[in-house]
Amino acid sequence: MRVAGLALGLLLLAASPAAGHHVGVWTARDNEVSTNFKQIKFALQAGKFDVARQLYESGALRRDLQAQATRLPAGLDASIRKALAAGDARAAERGLMVFFVALTRDLAGQADRQLADPSASPDIRLASSRKFLEAIWRYYSLVDFAVTQYDPKAATAVRLAFDEAEGYAKGAAASDLDRLRGPFQQMVRVLTGVIETSPTSARRDS
Amino acid sequence: MMSPAPDTWRVPPPWVLLVAVVLIAVAEVSGASMVKFKLELTRWARGVMLARPAVHGLVGVRDVDEQIIDEALVKLDGGLRLFHLHAEGMGTVIVVATMVATTLVRSTGLQRTVVLLLTVGGGAYPVGYLVWSAAIPYVGIERGKSIAEWLVWIPFGSAAIVAMWLLTGALALKLVQRQ
Repeated sequence: MRVAGLALGLLLLAASPAAGHHVGVWTARDNEVSTNFKQIKFALQAGKFDVARQLYESGALRRDLQAQATRLPAGLDASIRKALAAGDARAAERGLMVFFVALTRDLAGQADRQLADPSASPDIRLASSRKFLEAIWRYYSLVDFAVTQYDPKAATAVRLAFDEAEGYAKGAAASDLDRLRGPFQQMVRVLTGVIETSPTSARRDS
Repeated sequence: MMSPAPDTWRVPPPWVLLVAVVLIAVAEVSGASMVKFKLELTRWARGVMLARPAVHGLVGVRDVDEQIIDEALVKLDGGLRLFHLHAEGMGTVIVVATMVATTLVRSTGLQRTVVLLLTVGGGAYPVGYLVWSAAIPYVGIERGKSIAEWLVWIPFGSAAIVAMWLLTGALALKLVQRQ
């Protein structure tokens, strides 16, 4: 009886440590587009333009770029290929930057629309916005350095908007959803400006 | 005056050994099945998840959804791996610890309590990982974890921890009394 009582007491004490158990760790992985981008970038940095061109020509990045051609500046694919053929790393990287900036802008736009969608509950919209932020950062972080070199003000504005959105999304109540839309809209505005002022877009307009 | 420790190890009750051996056998089968049916499991889990977009927060955007699905699939696979590891480990722990209890704990009540808690707690605890893995596609990672916690991990994990501390206390007391 005493043993059973002792066991019961210990059982209650053990409930707390028993709640801590191994459940594994997950870290976001690159998808085939971001993997291909890194391969191309490393080849460019090593000055291996033939390799970079081959990786671009046959890679997932170009397939995705071509699939989304209507939402991208005209001639982006051609300008990247031309830069790779000419061994112009800066121009090639700028073209790739425009592609990822466009992907980021589209995600920010979709996040904004999803936040405004009244058919989903506020909790679901809030949870989704966190996932959108993760996806936005996964792409934008790949070209943040290039954007900073090309347009430092825009890069700072995007990072500030991202931080603001992250702050709202972390501690937000469902009533803060409208405030959360602001940073997403700011990202769309700034990134659209980056795309429109890129040399590729200028060529299209000329 | 305490009687000296026996020279030979005593075998725990057959049902205890059966639980331990079955647990190890299931662990081995699960390890092999995990590899053999990885593709089928992934397809099944993906299908169940896609049929429940609201549960997983899928929004219909590739760059968002693929990460959500990837995380769930990695956790599901992790749950199966952890079941394999814990079932193998706990099977062995049950055999060894109940043998120690049966041989060295003199009080019949305490001995039975330790053996019962260890066998039931240690035998059922790993099943929590299977419950979690199976629940992930239907209710999501966190909800699945809560279900496994309250149904299996906390009650049976607590039982196993209590048994180990009772056994530790009994052995420490025996050592002190001998000195």
